[in-house]
Amino acid sequence: MMRILRVPSGIVACALAALVWCVSVDTARAVQQKPAAPAAPAASSQVALPNKPDTLHFAVIGDNGTGEQAEYEVGEQLLTWYNRFPFPIVLMMGDNIYGSDRPQDFVKKFEAPYKGLLDKGVKFYATLGNHDSREQRYYKYFNMDGKLYYSFKAPKEDVRFFVFESSYMDQPQAKWIEAELKASNEKWKIAYFHHPLYSSSMTHGSTVKLRQVLEPLLIQYNVSLVLSGHDHVYERLKPQNGIQYFVEGSSGELRNGDLRPGSRDTAVGYDTDRAFVLMEVDGDNLTFNAISRQGTVVDSGVIPRRK
Amino acid sequence: MIETMLRTFLRSVTIGAVLLTLPLGTRAAAQKAPVNAHAATIAEFVKRVDAYVALHRKLESTIPALPKQGTPAQIDAHQRDLARLIQAARKNAKPGDLITREMQVLVRLVLRPIFLGEDGRQMKAEILDKEITGNVKLAVNGRYPDEVPLSIVPPQVLTSLPKLPEELEYRFVRQNLILLDPHAHIIADYVERAFK
Repeated sequence: MMRILRVPSGIVACALAALVWCVSVDTARAVQQKPAAPAAPAASSQVALPNKPDTLHFAVIGDNGTGEQAEYEVGEQLLTWYNRFPFPIVLMMGDNIYGSDRPQDFVKKFEAPYKGLLDKGVKFYATLGNHDSREQRYYKYFNMDGKLYYSFKAPKEDVRFFVFESSYMDQPQAKWIEAELKASNEKWKIAYFHHPLYSSSMTHGSTVKLRQVLEPLLIQYNVSLVLSGHDHVYERLKPQNGIQYFVEGSSGELRNGDLRPGSRDTAVGYDTDRAFVLMEVDGDNLTFNAISRQGTVVDSGVIPRRK
Repeated sequence: MIETMLRTFLRSVTIGAVLLTLPLGTRAAAQKAPVNAHAATIAEFVKRVDAYVALHRKLESTIPALPKQGTPAQIDAHQRDLARLIQAARKNAKPGDLITREMQVLVRLVLRPIFLGEDGRQMKAEILDKEITGNVKLAVNGRYPDEVPLSIVPPQVLTSLPKLPEELEYRFVRQNLILLDPHAHIIADYVERAFK
Protein backbone atom coordinates (compact mmCIF):
# COMPACT_ATOMS: atom_id res chain seq x y z
CA MET A 1 0.00 0.00 0.00
CA MET A 2 1.25 3.42 -0.82
CA ARG A 3 1.78 5.72 2.11
CA ILE A 4 0.74 9.26 1.32
CA LEU A 5 0.39 12.13 3.69
CA ARG A 6 -1.26 15.32 2.62
CA VAL A 7 0.97 18.32 2.57
CA PRO A 8 -0.09 21.87 3.30
CA SER A 9 -1.26 23.93 0.36
CA GLY A 10 -2.47 27.41 -0.38
CA ILE A 11 -2.92 29.51 2.71
CA VAL A 12 -1.31 26.98 4.99
CA ALA A 13 1.78 26.89 2.84
CA CYS A 14 1.96 30.67 2.79
CA ALA A 15 1.78 30.70 6.55
CA LEU A 16 4.69 28.33 6.61
CA ALA A 17 6.58 30.60 4.27
CA ALA A 18 6.19 33.44 6.70
CA LEU A 19 7.93 31.37 9.31
CA VAL A 20 10.75 30.04 7.24
CA TRP A 21 10.55 29.45 3.56
CA CYS A 22 8.00 27.22 2.05
CA VAL A 23 7.91 24.08 0.06
CA SER A 24 5.21 25.13 -2.30
CA VAL A 25 3.90 21.75 -3.04
CA ASP A 26 0.36 20.99 -3.80
CA THR A 27 0.92 17.46 -4.77
CA ALA A 28 1.29 13.99 -3.49
CA ARG A 29 -2.36 13.35 -3.21
CA ALA A 30 -3.93 10.30 -4.69
CA VAL A 31 -1.27 8.74 -6.86
CA GLN A 32 -2.28 6.35 -9.58
CA GLN A 33 -1.05 2.85 -8.89
CA LYS A 34 -0.91 1.92 -12.56
CA PRO A 35 2.34 2.57 -14.40
CA ALA A 36 2.37 5.92 -16.10
CA ALA A 37 3.94 6.41 -19.48
CA PRO A 38 6.80 8.85 -19.00
CA ALA A 39 5.72 10.94 -21.93
CA ALA A 40 2.21 11.33 -20.59
CA PRO A 41 1.30 14.76 -19.28
CA ALA A 42 1.41 15.05 -15.53
CA ALA A 43 -1.86 14.63 -13.70
CA SER A 44 -3.42 17.83 -12.42
CA SER A 45 -2.36 16.99 -8.86
CA GLN A 46 1.25 16.66 -9.91
CA VAL A 47 3.79 19.36 -10.57
CA ALA A 48 5.33 18.65 -13.94
CA LEU A 49 9.03 19.13 -14.43
CA PRO A 50 9.44 22.31 -16.50
CA ASN A 51 11.93 20.46 -18.69
CA LYS A 52 13.49 23.60 -20.09
CA PRO A 53 16.55 23.23 -22.30
CA ASP A 54 18.82 25.59 -20.37
CA THR A 55 18.04 24.58 -16.81
CA LEU A 56 19.91 22.08 -14.64
CA HIS A 57 18.45 18.58 -14.72
CA PHE A 58 19.69 15.82 -12.44
CA ALA A 59 18.64 12.48 -11.00
CA VAL A 60 19.03 11.12 -7.48
CA ILE A 61 19.44 7.45 -6.60
CA GLY A 62 20.44 5.80 -3.35
CA ASP A 63 21.22 2.40 -1.84
CA ASN A 64 21.09 1.01 -5.31
CA GLY A 65 24.06 -1.35 -5.70
CA THR A 66 22.45 -4.72 -5.14
CA GLY A 67 22.92 -6.15 -8.60
CA GLU A 68 19.42 -7.57 -8.33
CA GLN A 69 16.49 -7.38 -10.71
CA ALA A 70 14.90 -4.39 -9.01
CA GLU A 71 18.03 -2.28 -9.51
CA TYR A 72 18.01 -3.13 -13.20
CA GLU A 73 14.36 -2.17 -13.49
CA VAL A 74 15.03 1.18 -11.85
CA GLY A 75 17.93 1.61 -14.27
CA GLU A 76 15.61 0.97 -17.20
CA GLN A 77 13.07 3.40 -15.82
CA LEU A 78 15.76 6.06 -15.43
CA LEU A 79 16.74 5.57 -19.04
CA THR A 80 13.13 5.87 -20.16
CA TRP A 81 12.78 9.14 -18.31
CA TYR A 82 16.15 10.33 -19.56
CA ASN A 83 14.84 10.15 -23.11
CA ARG A 84 12.15 12.66 -22.19
CA PHE A 85 13.99 14.62 -19.53
CA PRO A 86 17.71 14.46 -20.31
CA PHE A 87 19.81 14.78 -17.17
CA PRO A 88 23.58 15.05 -17.50
CA ILE A 89 24.31 13.97 -13.92
CA VAL A 90 23.12 11.44 -11.37
CA LEU A 91 23.79 11.92 -7.67
CA MET A 92 24.39 8.67 -5.76
CA MET A 93 23.50 8.61 -2.07
CA GLY A 94 25.81 5.72 -1.18
CA ASP A 95 25.70 1.94 -0.81
CA ASN A 96 26.77 1.95 -4.39
CA ILE A 97 28.15 -1.60 -4.35
CA TYR A 98 26.77 -3.93 -1.70
CA GLY A 99 28.90 -6.80 -0.42
CA SER A 100 31.84 -7.96 -2.44
CA ASP A 101 33.35 -5.35 -4.75
CA ARG A 102 35.53 -7.39 -7.04
CA PRO A 103 35.77 -6.09 -10.63
CA GLN A 104 32.85 -8.25 -11.74
CA ASP A 105 30.72 -6.72 -8.98
CA PHE A 106 31.24 -3.23 -10.39
CA VAL A 107 29.82 -4.53 -13.65
CA LYS A 108 26.90 -6.42 -12.15
CA LYS A 109 25.94 -3.83 -9.54
CA PHE A 110 26.66 -0.61 -11.42
CA GLU A 111 27.85 -0.68 -15.02
CA ALA A 112 25.23 -3.08 -16.34
CA PRO A 113 22.14 -1.58 -14.65
CA TYR A 114 23.05 1.91 -15.83
CA LYS A 115 24.69 1.01 -19.13
CA GLY A 116 22.15 2.97 -21.13
CA LEU A 117 22.87 6.14 -19.17
CA LEU A 118 26.64 5.62 -19.19
CA ASP A 119 26.53 5.12 -22.97
CA LYS A 120 24.80 8.48 -23.29
CA GLY A 121 27.58 10.17 -21.32
CA VAL A 122 25.65 10.70 -18.09
CA LYS A 123 28.06 11.32 -15.21
CA PHE A 124 27.49 9.77 -11.81
CA TYR A 125 28.76 11.55 -8.68
CA ALA A 126 28.89 9.23 -5.69
CA THR A 127 29.08 9.56 -1.99
CA LEU A 128 30.14 6.53 0.02
CA GLY A 129 27.72 4.54 2.15
CA ASN A 130 28.39 2.19 4.99
CA HIS A 131 28.41 -0.78 2.59
CA ASP A 132 31.03 0.79 0.34
CA SER A 133 34.74 0.14 0.42
CA ARG A 134 36.65 3.40 0.90
CA GLU A 135 38.62 2.70 -2.26
CA GLN A 136 35.56 3.18 -4.44
CA ARG A 137 36.60 6.81 -4.38
CA TYR A 138 39.11 5.91 -7.10
CA TYR A 139 36.50 4.39 -9.41
CA LYS A 140 36.34 6.47 -12.57
CA TYR A 141 32.56 6.30 -12.98
CA PHE A 142 31.93 7.62 -9.48
CA ASN A 143 33.84 10.84 -10.28
CA MET A 144 35.19 11.30 -6.76
CA ASP A 145 38.79 11.86 -7.93
CA GLY A 146 40.14 9.84 -5.04
CA LYS A 147 38.45 12.02 -2.44
CA LEU A 148 36.19 10.90 0.38
CA TYR A 149 34.48 14.30 0.37
CA TYR A 150 34.42 16.91 -2.35
CA SER A 151 32.33 19.56 -4.04
CA PHE A 152 31.59 20.35 -7.64
CA LYS A 153 29.84 23.00 -9.65
CA ALA A 154 26.83 21.94 -11.65
CA PRO A 155 27.13 22.16 -15.44
CA LYS A 156 24.21 24.61 -15.57
CA GLU A 157 22.59 27.15 -13.26
CA ASP A 158 24.29 28.64 -10.22
CA VAL A 159 24.51 25.45 -8.22
CA ARG A 160 27.25 23.76 -6.19
CA PHE A 161 26.97 20.25 -4.81
CA PHE A 162 28.74 19.35 -1.56
CA VAL A 163 29.41 15.67 -1.00
CA PHE A 164 30.28 14.45 2.49
CA GLU A 165 31.51 11.19 4.00
CA SER A 166 28.95 10.89 6.76
CA SER A 167 30.20 7.71 8.41
CA TYR A 168 33.45 9.36 9.49
CA MET A 169 32.91 13.01 10.32
CA ASP A 170 36.31 13.80 11.77
CA GLN A 171 37.75 17.24 12.44
CA PRO A 172 39.55 17.62 9.10
CA GLN A 173 36.34 16.93 7.22
CA ALA A 174 34.26 19.21 9.44
CA LYS A 175 36.78 22.00 8.88
CA TRP A 176 36.78 21.36 5.15
CA ILE A 177 32.99 21.52 5.04
CA GLU A 178 32.91 24.85 6.80
CA ALA A 179 35.63 26.33 4.60
CA GLU A 180 34.02 25.02 1.42
CA LEU A 181 30.54 26.24 2.29
CA LYS A 182 31.89 29.59 3.36
CA ALA A 183 33.83 30.03 0.12
CA SER A 184 30.90 29.14 -2.08
CA ASN A 185 29.18 32.04 -3.81
CA GLU A 186 26.68 29.91 -5.66
CA LYS A 187 23.01 30.69 -5.16
CA TRP A 188 22.11 27.07 -4.68
CA LYS A 189 24.05 24.98 -2.19
CA ILE A 190 22.97 21.36 -2.24
CA ALA A 191 24.58 18.86 0.15
CA TYR A 192 24.34 15.10 0.00
CA PHE A 193 25.72 12.23 2.03
CA HIS A 194 24.64 8.78 3.08
CA HIS A 195 23.30 9.05 6.63
CA PRO A 196 20.14 11.15 6.93
CA LEU A 197 20.04 13.90 9.52
CA TYR A 198 16.27 13.51 9.54
CA SER A 199 14.43 10.31 8.75
CA SER A 200 11.18 8.77 9.86
CA SER A 201 12.23 5.22 9.09
CA MET A 202 12.06 2.68 11.86
CA THR A 203 15.19 0.77 10.89
CA HIS A 204 17.71 3.60 11.19
CA GLY A 205 15.95 6.92 11.52
CA SER A 206 17.61 10.28 12.11
CA THR A 207 21.36 10.35 12.64
CA VAL A 208 21.19 12.65 15.61
CA LYS A 209 24.84 12.78 16.65
CA LEU A 210 25.90 13.71 13.14
CA ARG A 211 23.13 16.28 12.99
CA GLN A 212 24.55 18.05 16.03
CA VAL A 213 27.73 18.74 14.07
CA LEU A 214 26.43 19.31 10.55
CA GLU A 215 23.14 21.10 10.92
CA PRO A 216 24.55 24.36 12.34
CA LEU A 217 26.88 24.60 9.34
CA LEU A 218 24.11 23.87 6.85
CA ILE A 219 21.96 26.57 8.40
CA GLN A 220 24.73 29.12 8.77
CA TYR A 221 25.93 28.80 5.19
CA ASN A 222 22.52 28.81 3.57
CA VAL A 223 22.26 25.28 2.24
CA SER A 224 18.85 24.91 0.60
CA LEU A 225 18.60 21.21 0.03
CA VAL A 226 20.04 18.07 1.70
CA LEU A 227 19.79 14.62 0.15
CA SER A 228 20.61 11.32 1.84
CA GLY A 229 20.00 7.58 1.67
CA HIS A 230 20.67 4.77 4.17
CA ASP A 231 17.02 4.16 5.00
CA HIS A 232 15.54 2.13 2.20
CA VAL A 233 12.54 4.30 1.48
CA TYR A 234 11.69 7.54 -0.23
CA GLU A 235 10.83 10.35 2.15
CA ARG A 236 10.43 14.06 1.72
CA LEU A 237 10.59 15.69 5.08
CA LYS A 238 8.91 18.85 6.17
CA PRO A 239 11.51 21.64 6.11
CA GLN A 240 13.67 21.53 9.20
CA ASN A 241 15.09 24.86 10.33
CA GLY A 242 14.56 26.22 6.86
CA ILE A 243 16.25 23.37 4.98
CA GLN A 244 14.52 20.84 2.75
CA TYR A 245 15.59 17.22 3.37
CA PHE A 246 14.98 14.15 1.24
CA VAL A 247 15.81 10.51 1.90
CA GLU A 248 16.19 8.43 -1.25
CA GLY A 249 17.50 5.03 -0.26
CA SER A 250 15.25 2.79 -2.29
CA SER A 251 16.73 2.66 -5.77
CA GLY A 252 17.85 -0.94 -5.28
CA GLU A 253 17.10 -1.96 -1.73
CA LEU A 254 13.67 -1.55 -0.18
CA ARG A 255 12.30 -1.86 3.34
CA ASN A 256 8.65 -2.27 2.73
CA GLY A 257 6.52 -0.39 5.26
CA ASP A 258 9.51 1.00 7.15
CA LEU A 259 8.25 4.56 7.49
CA ARG A 260 6.89 5.29 10.94
CA PRO A 261 3.15 5.85 10.64
CA GLY A 262 2.09 9.33 11.61
CA SER A 263 5.60 10.77 11.79
CA ARG A 264 5.34 14.52 12.34
CA ASP A 265 8.40 15.13 10.19
CA THR A 266 7.20 13.40 7.04
CA ALA A 267 5.74 15.52 4.26
CA VAL A 268 5.40 12.61 1.86
CA GLY A 269 6.75 9.09 2.05
CA TYR A 270 6.81 6.12 -0.27
CA ASP A 271 7.96 2.79 1.10
CA THR A 272 6.25 0.15 -0.95
CA ASP A 273 8.48 0.00 -4.01
CA ARG A 274 11.80 1.25 -5.36
CA ALA A 275 12.12 4.85 -6.41
CA PHE A 276 14.38 7.59 -7.72
CA VAL A 277 14.04 11.35 -7.97
CA LEU A 278 14.39 13.77 -10.87
CA MET A 279 15.13 17.40 -10.13
CA GLU A 280 15.32 20.59 -12.17
CA VAL A 281 16.80 23.86 -11.00
CA ASP A 282 15.41 26.86 -12.81
CA GLY A 283 16.62 30.12 -11.31
CA ASP A 284 15.41 30.33 -7.74
CA ASN A 285 13.16 27.27 -7.91
CA LEU A 286 13.79 23.56 -7.90
CA THR A 287 11.08 21.25 -9.20
CA PHE A 288 11.18 17.57 -8.26
CA ASN A 289 9.42 14.39 -9.24
CA ALA A 290 9.87 11.21 -7.21
CA ILE A 291 9.21 8.26 -9.46
CA SER A 292 8.56 4.61 -8.67
CA ARG A 293 10.10 1.61 -10.37
CA GLN A 294 6.92 1.38 -12.47
CA GLY A 295 7.27 4.97 -13.64
CA THR A 296 4.57 6.47 -11.46
CA VAL A 297 5.15 9.93 -10.05
CA VAL A 298 4.69 9.39 -6.31
CA ASP A 299 5.59 12.89 -5.15
CA SER A 300 6.29 16.22 -6.79
CA GLY A 301 6.59 19.86 -5.94
CA VAL A 302 8.63 23.04 -6.12
CA ILE A 303 11.23 24.19 -3.63
CA PRO A 304 12.45 27.77 -3.56
CA ARG A 305 16.07 28.29 -2.67
CA ARG A 306 17.03 29.86 0.62
CA LYS A 307 18.02 33.49 0.36
CA MET B 1 58.50 18.25 9.57
CA ILE B 2 55.90 20.91 10.24
CA GLU B 3 53.24 18.30 9.64
CA THR B 4 54.83 16.00 12.20
CA MET B 5 55.05 18.80 14.74
CA LEU B 6 51.47 19.77 14.07
CA ARG B 7 50.33 16.20 14.47
CA THR B 8 52.23 15.87 17.73
CA PHE B 9 50.68 19.09 18.96
CA LEU B 10 47.19 18.03 17.97
CA ARG B 11 47.64 14.73 19.72
CA SER B 12 48.79 16.50 22.86
CA VAL B 13 45.69 18.66 22.70
CA THR B 14 43.60 15.55 22.23
CA ILE B 15 45.10 13.93 25.31
CA GLY B 16 44.21 17.00 27.32
CA ALA B 17 40.76 17.14 25.81
CA VAL B 18 40.18 13.49 26.53
CA LEU B 19 40.97 13.92 30.18
CA LEU B 20 39.15 17.23 30.51
CA THR B 21 35.97 15.89 28.98
CA LEU B 22 35.67 13.04 31.44
CA PRO B 23 32.78 13.55 33.87
CA LEU B 24 33.73 14.20 37.45
CA GLY B 25 33.28 10.66 38.72
CA THR B 26 35.21 9.17 35.87
CA ARG B 27 37.77 11.93 36.02
CA ALA B 28 38.38 11.16 39.65
CA ALA B 29 38.88 7.51 38.80
CA ALA B 30 41.15 8.44 35.94
CA GLN B 31 43.15 10.66 38.22
CA LYS B 32 44.01 7.70 40.42
CA ALA B 33 46.45 6.95 37.67
CA PRO B 34 48.80 9.87 37.14
CA VAL B 35 48.03 11.94 34.04
CA ASN B 36 51.57 11.23 32.95
CA ALA B 37 50.68 7.56 32.83
CA HIS B 38 47.85 8.29 30.39
CA ALA B 39 50.12 10.55 28.38
CA ALA B 40 52.72 7.81 28.23
CA THR B 41 50.07 5.29 27.16
CA ILE B 42 48.86 7.52 24.37
CA ALA B 43 52.39 8.40 23.33
CA GLU B 44 53.16 4.70 23.02
CA PHE B 45 50.00 4.19 20.94
CA VAL B 46 50.97 7.08 18.67
CA LYS B 47 54.46 5.66 18.29
CA ARG B 48 53.09 2.28 17.26
CA VAL B 49 50.58 3.84 14.87
CA ASP B 50 53.37 5.89 13.30
CA ALA B 51 55.45 2.76 12.84
CA TYR B 52 52.51 0.98 11.21
CA VAL B 53 51.89 3.92 8.90
CA ALA B 54 55.55 4.14 7.96
CA LEU B 55 55.48 0.47 7.03
CA HIS B 56 52.21 0.95 5.14
CA ARG B 57 53.62 3.85 3.13
CA LYS B 58 56.84 2.05 2.37
CA LEU B 59 55.00 -1.00 1.09
CA GLU B 60 52.42 1.01 -0.80
CA SER B 61 55.19 2.84 -2.62
CA THR B 62 56.33 -0.48 -4.13
CA ILE B 63 53.08 -1.07 -6.00
CA PRO B 64 51.56 1.02 -8.81
CA ALA B 65 49.77 4.10 -7.50
CA LEU B 66 46.05 4.21 -7.98
CA PRO B 67 44.91 6.74 -10.58
CA LYS B 68 42.17 9.09 -9.44
CA GLN B 69 39.97 7.72 -12.18
CA GLY B 70 40.79 4.06 -11.82
CA THR B 71 39.17 0.89 -13.03
CA PRO B 72 37.71 -1.76 -10.72
CA ALA B 73 40.57 -4.07 -11.67
CA GLN B 74 43.16 -1.46 -10.66
CA ILE B 75 41.37 -0.75 -7.38
CA ASP B 76 41.02 -4.42 -6.52
CA ALA B 77 44.61 -5.23 -7.42
CA HIS B 78 45.95 -2.31 -5.43
CA GLN B 79 43.93 -3.16 -2.35
CA ARG B 80 44.74 -6.85 -2.36
CA ASP B 81 48.42 -6.41 -3.27
CA LEU B 82 48.85 -3.94 -0.44
CA ALA B 83 47.04 -6.25 1.96
CA ARG B 84 49.30 -9.13 1.00
CA LEU B 85 52.42 -7.04 1.53
CA ILE B 86 51.28 -5.79 4.93
CA GLN B 87 50.13 -9.22 6.02
CA ALA B 88 53.50 -10.67 5.05
CA ALA B 89 55.44 -7.92 6.78
CA ARG B 90 53.30 -8.31 9.93
CA LYS B 91 52.85 -12.05 9.77
CA ASN B 92 53.32 -12.38 13.52
CA ALA B 93 51.03 -9.48 14.39
CA LYS B 94 48.62 -10.12 17.24
CA PRO B 95 45.94 -8.22 19.12
CA GLY B 96 47.47 -5.51 21.27
CA ASP B 97 50.42 -4.80 19.00
CA LEU B 98 49.10 -1.35 18.15
CA ILE B 99 46.54 -0.80 20.88
CA THR B 100 48.43 -1.96 23.94
CA ARG B 101 46.63 -3.40 26.94
CA GLU B 102 47.04 -0.06 28.74
CA MET B 103 45.64 1.79 25.74
CA GLN B 104 42.68 -0.59 25.58
CA VAL B 105 41.88 0.26 29.19
CA LEU B 106 42.19 3.96 28.43
CA VAL B 107 39.95 3.68 25.35
CA ARG B 108 37.22 2.06 27.44
CA LEU B 109 37.69 4.71 30.10
CA VAL B 110 37.41 7.54 27.59
CA LEU B 111 34.40 6.07 25.80
CA ARG B 112 32.47 5.18 28.95
CA PRO B 113 31.03 8.66 29.65
CA ILE B 114 30.23 9.23 26.00
CA PHE B 115 27.90 6.26 25.99
CA LEU B 116 25.99 7.24 29.11
CA GLY B 117 22.47 8.66 29.25
CA GLU B 118 20.23 9.64 26.36
CA ASP B 119 23.18 10.84 24.27
CA GLY B 120 24.84 7.50 24.79
CA ARG B 121 21.69 5.62 23.84
CA GLN B 122 21.48 7.56 20.57
CA MET B 123 25.15 6.92 19.93
CA LYS B 124 24.77 3.18 20.45
CA ALA B 125 21.69 3.09 18.24
CA GLU B 126 23.67 4.66 15.42
CA ILE B 127 26.73 2.47 15.87
CA LEU B 128 25.09 -0.88 16.45
CA ASP B 129 23.96 -1.51 12.90
CA LYS B 130 20.95 -3.80 12.72
CA GLU B 131 22.27 -5.06 9.40
CA ILE B 132 25.15 -6.85 11.12
CA THR B 133 23.82 -10.28 11.87
CA GLY B 134 25.59 -13.48 12.87
CA ASN B 135 29.02 -13.83 14.32
CA VAL B 136 31.73 -11.52 13.01
CA LYS B 137 35.18 -12.86 13.73
CA LEU B 138 37.83 -10.23 14.22
CA ALA B 139 41.37 -11.06 13.20
CA VAL B 140 44.43 -8.85 13.20
CA ASN B 141 45.75 -8.69 9.63
CA GLY B 142 42.52 -10.23 8.40
CA ARG B 143 40.46 -8.74 5.60
CA TYR B 144 37.51 -6.70 6.80
CA PRO B 145 34.54 -8.89 5.86
CA ASP B 146 32.93 -7.73 2.60
CA GLU B 147 29.44 -8.46 3.84
CA VAL B 148 29.76 -6.43 7.03
CA PRO B 149 28.84 -2.75 6.64
CA LEU B 150 31.16 -0.16 8.11
CA SER B 151 29.83 1.44 11.25
CA ILE B 152 29.31 5.11 11.54
CA VAL B 153 31.81 6.62 13.98
CA PRO B 154 30.07 9.57 15.62
CA PRO B 155 32.03 12.84 15.61
CA GLN B 156 31.85 12.86 19.41
CA VAL B 157 33.83 9.60 19.50
CA LEU B 158 36.39 10.79 16.98
CA THR B 159 37.15 13.95 18.92
CA SER B 160 37.73 11.89 22.06
CA LEU B 161 40.30 9.50 20.63
CA PRO B 162 43.80 10.26 19.36
CA LYS B 163 43.76 11.48 15.79
CA LEU B 164 44.82 8.99 13.16
CA PRO B 165 46.59 9.48 9.86
CA GLU B 166 44.48 8.72 6.83
CA GLU B 167 45.96 5.22 6.49
CA LEU B 168 43.96 4.13 9.54
CA GLU B 169 40.40 4.66 10.73
CA TYR B 170 38.50 3.85 13.87
CA ARG B 171 35.43 1.72 13.22
CA PHE B 172 33.12 -0.33 15.37
CA VAL B 173 32.09 -3.90 14.82
CA ARG B 174 29.33 -4.22 17.36
CA GLN B 175 30.89 -3.08 20.65
CA ASN B 176 34.42 -3.71 19.44
CA LEU B 177 36.55 -0.81 18.25
CA ILE B 178 38.81 -1.70 15.36
CA LEU B 179 41.66 0.04 13.61
CA LEU B 180 40.86 -0.36 9.93
CA ASP B 181 43.42 0.11 7.19
CA PRO B 182 41.05 1.34 4.48
CA HIS B 183 43.60 1.20 1.66
CA ALA B 184 44.28 -2.48 2.26
CA HIS B 185 40.84 -3.22 3.73
CA ILE B 186 42.39 -5.11 6.62
CA ILE B 187 42.04 -4.91 10.38
CA ALA B 188 45.24 -3.63 11.94
CA ASP B 189 44.17 -4.14 15.56
CA TYR B 190 41.08 -3.97 17.78
CA VAL B 191 39.72 -3.41 21.27
CA GLU B 192 37.10 -5.85 22.42
CA ARG B 193 34.06 -4.48 24.25
CA ALA B 194 35.15 -0.87 23.84
CA PHE B 195 31.81 0.25 25.25
CA LYS B 196 28.92 -1.40 27.05
